[in-house]
Amino acid sequence: MNEHEVFEVVRDKTVEVLPEVAPAEVSIDGSLVDLGANSIDRVDIVTLSMEELGVTIPPTEFADVKDLRSLVTLLERYA
Amino acid sequence: MTEPVVVTGLGIVSPIGMDVASFTRSLRAGRCGVEVVTDPAHDDEPALLAPLVGFDLATALDGLDGLDGLAGLKPELRREVLRAGHRSPITIQAALSAATQAWLEAELPTRPVPGDRVGIVVGGNNLTGAYAFDQYDTYLREPMYLPARYALQVKDTDHVGTLSQALGITGEGYTVGASSASGNAAVMHAARMIGCGAVDVCLAVGAMSRLDPPERAALAKLGVLAEPDGTEVEAPRPFDRERSGFVPGEAVACLVLESRTGARRRGSLPLVELAGYAQALDGNSLSDPSVAGEARAMNTALAQAGVSGCRVDYVNAHATATPAGDDAELAALRRVLGTGRPWINSTKALVGHTLSAAGAVEAVATVVQMRGGFIHPNPTLRHPVGDGYRLVGATAVETTIDCALSNSFGFGGFNSCLVMLRA
Repeated sequence: MNEHEVFEVVRDKTVEVLPEVAPAEVSIDGSLVDLGANSIDRVDIVTLSMEELGVTIPPTEFADVKDLRSLVTLLERYA
Repeated sequence: MTEPVVVTGLGIVSPIGMDVASFTRSLRAGRCGVEVVTDPAHDDEPALLAPLVGFDLATALDGLDGLDGLAGLKPELRREVLRAGHRSPITIQAALSAATQAWLEAELPTRPVPGDRVGIVVGGNNLTGAYAFDQYDTYLREPMYLPARYALQVKDTDHVGTLSQALGITGEGYTVGASSASGNAAVMHAARMIGCGAVDVCLAVGAMSRLDPPERAALAKLGVLAEPDGTEVEAPRPFDRERSGFVPGEAVACLVLESRTGARRRGSLPLVELAGYAQALDGNSLSDPSVAGEARAMNTALAQAGVSGCRVDYVNAHATATPAGDDAELAALRRVLGTGRPWINSTKALVGHTLSAAGAVEAVATVVQMRGGFIHPNPTLRHPVGDGYRLVGATAVETTIDCALSNSFGFGGFNSCLVMLRA
């Protein structure tokens, strides 16, 4: 799976969890916090993305994830 | 007793109406929400249930705008309610709709009370059995895929957290439980919180029960559930000789309570007065009812209300259609009321036994019947048990109700009664 395909999954799950966000507003250069996601929304988006991609990533791996680009990179590594 | 408490708002989501107006119409028409469903956990065996079907929170909120008697739903409140409910289980989404209805009817958006003077009591325990059961396969397959909010949503108190977030309630808030009398317990505690000055306005919510397959099987094992008989839905049949047990129902209801003085000051309209309430335990952990315990709860509530049994016009009975339960309640009513004058029905004939919500659902049913001057039918009552009771049959009764009782009893020896007077 390439970076773009992984990003599309994350974007779809972001819109599922944050109904006030339109798909076009989700950019790989942005962050979930800026889109209005609180802490549990972020875990929600990550959980749904992992399940969709069929991966499991230990929580410690997320320590350096600060934005959508680093999230997509991490997911792609395991996908 | 301390200052009188009145009801100023109602809300309901039920199998026979997803707002108070449609629920009231269904009561008048004697519309029953019971269906035959299949149980996927038991070889698709047929079972009886009054299910909540087709509920969607956004659609429900849109439907509130412009409903008679409700202050309009402002966009900000709509947004907060949807935000709170978006990732919530259906039981909480339905509670959000019911609470918002009651909030609007009580005119809290337009005649506001400071958030820290508003409280909330949610009646019901063990509300998340079905939620946990539904997630168990995911847990076995891959625990990391459990919903992010599982740790929050598996707790009964998620009702309190979510409703208080949506409505900006920052006074006192709790869950309370009394088995099938939880709804009445919520109403009683809300009234007490107002009476002692802890809050000025309090929401009482009877939370929705969704039975998980093991609990349903366990109830069937006790012999208390009505089983389907062919394709005809002829149950539940409270007070009828052919009664064969209860049918679970999925509903949630909310009442807004405040002191009479507070309502007058705020300019909100009292719907009824909650003149008395009482609860009494049997000192019994089993499911068998007690005539003495039920009578004691009713007598205590009537005494608190300063009303004698002969003034009661209508009894919204607990009556679930189990022979032991129905008979015990009729015997207790004979002791308490003396005469056979009051009309008696059971809303469970139409919405099933809504378990944790029952006391609140039936309080709403009592209020709307008092205000509408009618008593809903019991459509399957053909051969009434007992003698000398005025049990409502297949046709609604048009009559004035000045004084009503609403009973709820629960496994584990819980007996409770609310006394309502015309406002």
